[in-house]
Amino acid sequence: MDFGPHLFVASLEGAITAAVLALTAVGLSIVFGIMRVVNVAHGEFFMLGAVIAWWITSLIAGHPALGFTVALIAAPIIVGALAVICNRFVLHKINYEPERTIVATIGLLYVIQQTTLMTFGPEARPVEAPFNKRIALPWFEFGESGFALTWPWGLSTTTYKLAVIAAAVVILLVLWTVMTRTKIGLIMRATQLDQEMAQAYGIAVNKVYALVFGLGAALAALGAVLVVPIQQAHYLMGDDPLLLSFIVVIIGGLGSVPGTVLAAVLIGMSDGIISVFFTPTLAKILATLLVAFVLIFKPDGLFGKRRE
Amino acid sequence: MLRVNQIEVAYDRVQVLFGLSLSVERGEILCLLGRNGAGKTTTLKSIMGLLPLRGGSVSFDDKTISGLPAHKMAAKGIAYVPQGRRLFSELSVRQNIEIGLMASGAGHETREYALSLFPRLRERLKQRAETLSGGEQQMLAMARAICARPQVILLDEPTEGLQPSMTSMIREVIIEMKNNGVAVVLVEQHVDAILAVADRVTFVEHGVDAETVAVSVLKERPELVNAYLGV
Ligand SMILES: Nc1ncnc2c1ncn2[C@@H]1O[C@H](COP(=O)(O)OP(=O)(O)OP(=O)(O)O)[C@@H](O)[C@H]1O
Ligand SMILES: [Mg+2]
Repeated sequence: MDFGPHLFVASLEGAITAAVLALTAVGLSIVFGIMRVVNVAHGEFFMLGAVIAWWITSLIAGHPALGFTVALIAAPIIVGALAVICNRFVLHKINYEPERTIVATIGLLYVIQQTTLMTFGPEARPVEAPFNKRIALPWFEFGESGFALTWPWGLSTTTYKLAVIAAAVVILLVLWTVMTRTKIGLIMRATQLDQEMAQAYGIAVNKVYALVFGLGAALAALGAVLVVPIQQAHYLMGDDPLLLSFIVVIIGGLGSVPGTVLAAVLIGMSDGIISVFFTPTLAKILATLLVAFVLIFKPDGLFGKRRE
Repeated sequence: MLRVNQIEVAYDRVQVLFGLSLSVERGEILCLLGRNGAGKTTTLKSIMGLLPLRGGSVSFDDKTISGLPAHKMAAKGIAYVPQGRRLFSELSVRQNIEIGLMASGAGHETREYALSLFPRLRERLKQRAETLSGGEQQMLAMARAICARPQVILLDEPTEGLQPSMTSMIREVIIEMKNNGVAVVLVEQHVDAILAVADRVTFVEHGVDAETVAVSVLKERPELVNAYLGV
């Protein structure tokens, strides 16, 4: 394949990484933005989403789309509920103190990971995509006969991969609408801006925290369910999303949702492209370097607002 | 109607209030006066349930309300205008007012009433609160509290840093609330303002209520102010 078409395929892979990363990182970002909680266990909620999706689809016979649809709805709800329980019995008990919160979520990370290892096992397990038609993609050429469209061999994607990107866009738009146009969004933003005054004006901050922590985890799980037909479920699969989400949240400006999405696109696309042309490890190294530079030169993130 | 009974409050290990008491009735303005750091803001926050009490109690219409979570106070009819305004900075004027309305479940009429008191806010409903001028921010902080339809309003230095015309406007609104039967607790540094609006004055010194007098007494004995403020 020529360089052009090759780059096109790599960008598509990058777009899928970006789409899933945007969902996962926005989950981490709202938890940090509203609750000021650095959730080190966020990647494990992602992993649980994939593992529960595998479990649900393996229970439901019939067309793969049936099991997948159930998983797409049920897995985020189950993971969100589990996160609400973790919030109530761990984070709430230690009063959301920053240092103890980090230690506690590291603890949660290992508990969830090891429990999955003991029950689900060390294998990677596939989930069948609900639909998966290969579609050839066109490329253009300037030949002797001028501009022409060609269908180079190997330049293709699947309907499912395109659907993942579309689904992520829709989910993010819905989330944005909820945050900016609804009463519950107003309550969440008021809590983010001034937790004490929110309480003084009748907002039950503990309930908001439970909701936000559950929602953050559910977003990670949702991203995982979307990607698991491409990637397979594995008990260690939360590590990369955690690292990349942290990178994205820092670059995007801590707690800013639009900044997080932009950064996810930037990091996801370059991660996809560099992984295809070089190695995934190089992609992670470069992303981590970028974070270091952002922290040195623009501590509020590339898209973050300067705090006074 | 609101009674603060010998409250003791500390930040971590540093105790700030040592058995402070005060009371205020419907349609009455009680002023708190005291040096910087005497514990006035701490008193208001404690009433709002934002700080835990180590001792003492707060009651409202003879029912104990201390110990309730802070977010229940608004529904009990207590509204708070904090020192430094503390608006929801990135939200619009409309949204800040909306949050006040949510606290009381009040509707359109209350919102219109609040905006009629501060017509300048009506012109700026879409503006972000942090971009308002200092005076407008104070109006919004008052409007937000009024939308919570309080029976008791706690005002912490609402005229701090404002020019005289703005100060008198805020003062008129406070008097209107009093006339509507609201119990007002007002932290105020300016003695002339106190003499103009207060019914009674509680002097706060080192975290206790050193003395409470009717404002007529204060008029006769202006040296009291010097004694507690030490100007
Ligand atoms: N968050 C806090 N942590 C620790 N100490 C505090 C805190 N807030 C206030 N204090 C201390 O409590 C004491 C009383 O403060 P408070 O704000 O109640 O005073 P104030 O009477 O409102 O003063 P001012 O007139 O300056 O507003 C001060 O000594 C202050 O340093
Ligand atoms: Mg004060």
